[in-house]
Amino acid sequence: MSLMLRILCVGGSLVTLLFITSNIRRRKVQIEDSIFWVVLAAALLVVAVFPRIATFASTLLGFQAPSNFVFVVVIAILLAKLFSLSTEVSSLKHRLNELAQEEALLSKEEEEDSDARSTARQPNRE
Amino acid sequence: MRILAIIPAYNEEECLEATVRNLEATCPEVDYLVVNDGSTDRTREICERQGFCCVNLPINTGLSSGFQTGMKYADRHGYDAAVQFDADGQHLPQYIPIMAEAMRQHDAAVVIASRALVDEAPTGARGAGSKLISALIRVTTGKRITDPTSGMRMYNAKLIREFAHGFDLTPEPDTLAMLARRGETVVEIPAHMEERQGGESYLNLPHVIRYMARTCLSILMFQWFRK
Repeated sequence: MSLMLRILCVGGSLVTLLFITSNIRRRKVQIEDSIFWVVLAAALLVVAVFPRIATFASTLLGFQAPSNFVFVVVIAILLAKLFSLSTEVSSLKHRLNELAQEEALLSKEEEEDSDARSTARQPNRE
Repeated sequence: MRILAIIPAYNEEECLEATVRNLEATCPEVDYLVVNDGSTDRTREICERQGFCCVNLPINTGLSSGFQTGMKYADRHGYDAAVQFDADGQHLPQYIPIMAEAMRQHDAAVVIASRALVDEAPTGARGAGSKLISALIRVTTGKRITDPTSGMRMYNAKLIREFAHGFDLTPEPDTLAMLARRGETVVEIPAHMEERQGGESYLNLPHVIRYMARTCLSILMFQWFRK
């Protein structure tokens, strides 16, 4: 891995860590949801500081250059993360709909109950 | 047989009143429930002023979820059958008793009001889409459904329960395919339909592409894996 790429990686991961911290401070993201990004940034930092990890893995797996190996791994991780976000959105949508439905059905039930009570109180209304 | 007509309504102020009045007058023995899906127009006001049987979702959740709300209501109130009924006046209430009779006779899980059986199959791009879906269902399940995109469908008590508790179970052709493949009886009756009497059509290009993609993908691929 070239020196420039290493500096880029170190800088990138440090900026990412700072960015995450400031977002937690400004209450934009929950700590639980930041774990992934912290770990990813830390891993990138480790590889940038000790590029021999990437070199070793890339020769072992037959990559032409360590940087290619880093790209492939990062892209794969990001795709997996993206899909997991889709599943999370689906589940949130489902739960939001359930909530809205229950709310609607509950107020309908209350309305029916109060109607039933008022007709029970006035049996000769008709 | 206790039947509930589920009328999903999202911004249907123009013809909701006429639709419900027509339903009440034609089929007094059929109960109905208007599901106001977070409308931003006067839909809610109209329901309240007219004293319609209606539930109000606090937000717009989409047709599937609106319909599911109706199915939950039907499930909790012990209905024997529920029918999808459009608020825009396309569907004619006089077919509801006929559908119920067909359901009883054939012990069917689903009864569809088919325009194709009265030679009113949709034409143009809409017809092409409908034919494609019909063909896909034919190939994947071996069952013939002449009008899979008809929005007027009746479901029995077992399916009411399933819709009420389902995850991503849409009141759409892909669910018909899944049910047909599973061996449920799907019956069609010939039915005339009106033009929509008001309100906005969903028929814009991005929506159509998403609808077709979702339906085809679901029929061709995911129906084999869904639980």
